[in-house]
Amino acid sequence: MSLIDLNHVRRTFDGGRIVAVDDVSLSIRQGETVAITGPSGSGKSTLLNLMCGLDRPTRGDIRFDSQPVRGGAKWARVRAERLGIVFQSFCLIPGLTAEENVEVAMIGQCSGVHLRRERALSLLQQVGLGDRSAFRPFELSGGERQRVAIARALANAPDVLMADEPTGSLDRRSSHLIMDLLTDLQRGRHTTLVLVTHDQIVAGYCKRQIELVDGNVVSDVTVPPQAKHVAALVPPAMGPT
Amino acid sequence: MNQLTLPIRNLYRQPLRSSLTALGVAVAVGGFVAMTGLTQGLRYTVDRGIEEPGADLVISQKAAYGLLSGSVPVSLEQKVSGIPGIDKVSGVLLNVTVADNDANIVISGWPFDSYLWNNVQLMEGRVPTSADEFGVVLGQSIAAALRKRVGDGVELEYQNYQVVGIAKFGTVLNQNIALVPLAGLQKLMGRADTVTLFEVRLSRPLDPDRVAAVRAQISAALPSYLVSDTAEFANNLRFERQINAVASTIGLVVMGMAALVIANTMLMAVSERTRELGILAAVGWAPVRILAMILMEGLLISAAGGIAGLGLGIVTMHLVSQTHMAAGLLEPYLPPALIVEALISVLVIGPLGALYPASLAVRMPPARALREM
Repeated sequence: MSLIDLNHVRRTFDGGRIVAVDDVSLSIRQGETVAITGPSGSGKSTLLNLMCGLDRPTRGDIRFDSQPVRGGAKWARVRAERLGIVFQSFCLIPGLTAEENVEVAMIGQCSGVHLRRERALSLLQQVGLGDRSAFRPFELSGGERQRVAIARALANAPDVLMADEPTGSLDRRSSHLIMDLLTDLQRGRHTTLVLVTHDQIVAGYCKRQIELVDGNVVSDVTVPPQAKHVAALVPPAMGPT
Repeated sequence: MNQLTLPIRNLYRQPLRSSLTALGVAVAVGGFVAMTGLTQGLRYTVDRGIEEPGADLVISQKAAYGLLSGSVPVSLEQKVSGIPGIDKVSGVLLNVTVADNDANIVISGWPFDSYLWNNVQLMEGRVPTSADEFGVVLGQSIAAALRKRVGDGVELEYQNYQVVGIAKFGTVLNQNIALVPLAGLQKLMGRADTVTLFEVRLSRPLDPDRVAAVRAQISAALPSYLVSDTAEFANNLRFERQINAVASTIGLVVMGMAALVIANTMLMAVSERTRELGILAAVGWAPVRILAMILMEGLLISAAGGIAGLGLGIVTMHLVSQTHMAAGLLEPYLPPALIVEALISVLVIGPLGALYPASLAVRMPPARALREM
């Protein structure tokens, strides 16, 4: 059963002069791992933003669980209850600690300050940052920040994890650690994973690969995962549980 | 961390800006409280000041502009003194004058034989007699301020008076008053046949029906004049009403300015934190929750400013009332209704000022907000 459906979705900017996504139709099923690939400017991040409701299509229709989602409030609810998003630039709030950055996603979803705090700490432990919960983003490395962002994305036990270039700001070793973490979490929680990347190795972690060129889907193939996991590089204390 | 502590932390991240904004609100609220309190205090002090020597009713010129501007012929006393239920009637001539070229004070002329003298509680000396055309009894505060004792001279209305007594009063108006014999003051003011008003004392015991009946009889006997109790008299003075109107208008303007200060601060805060607001939207915060957070920040700033402003207003009222210009007419007065009015204003202006920045923040698509640096 499809979880996310895009029907003839188009997104233009600058009064229609720039076409970022052009008449894209696709479906993503529960439990799939999907990589959206393509060169820079191909519209893959815009497509992901549309799938998360962070941006609105100029034309077309996006459905979640076969229901059309329209309006900021409805999308906010979908993001709060069903989606977890990870960004290339981490998108952590600088004034908050790692634990608070995770907790902030639960305000309004999980009642009780103590419950939220416990869950945030538990998630940070799961991503190997149990001892960094009181650190602010500027005190963490890039890989650690991205793990905080992943913990935040998991805060409300989402059905779908969306990641926009999750390793784009990381070195190769950290990239593998993050991808291993994401795919392990995906398997452990049976979530759907949709990630945008221009890196074929990162894309290799996903079974389904959709290639975008100039806003158009030029290929949509299912392949066995190719990337070699480098779990051995992960120190035991930092590995996902 | 919750919906309340997050706005507090947001404000704390820019302590100087938040403090200055709160200070701006405090100045506005303080100004509003001080102006409104002092103008209401003026009415209050006139009401209580006239009542203190024992008057129940006041006969005055209709639509008198101010406390001092009324003019009533002395001859009216004969017309009303025989009305059943009236115990005593006394003419009173009021003016504001400069004492010893130093302080503005209210001077009040009473006839030698006025019943009003009977209620003056002397701390020292005596009340003037017919031999003291230019004798004066000073209220305790003005006597202390001018450092006058019984036997000292004091210049009032360009006339040297001799202090014959110092009296203790409860109201600020009377604490700062100079009580003089009516005849001498009439001469000095060139108003031999008129007084400012008549203060009427009714026979005891008082009951509302009797008071109403006597008022009706006086009104019937003097249809061209206004008969009122002391509170109504104070309320009916057009000058006080105009001051109230001016104070209310200025109050509204300063409150509007406070709302603009908050709007400016919140606009800066929102534009600086556009990306953060995008992050909150991305993690599932509904637009209304983001809106509420920004409104809460506006509310917290204005609440902090409002509480500080109440204190500032009270201090200002006291300082102004103690100046020589105040002439004992400006009494600090902070009725609960004024506190409620100030706090309600604060509860409105904070969110009102933050509303536009907040609506800007939630209208922006999260993807665009996230691109902002």
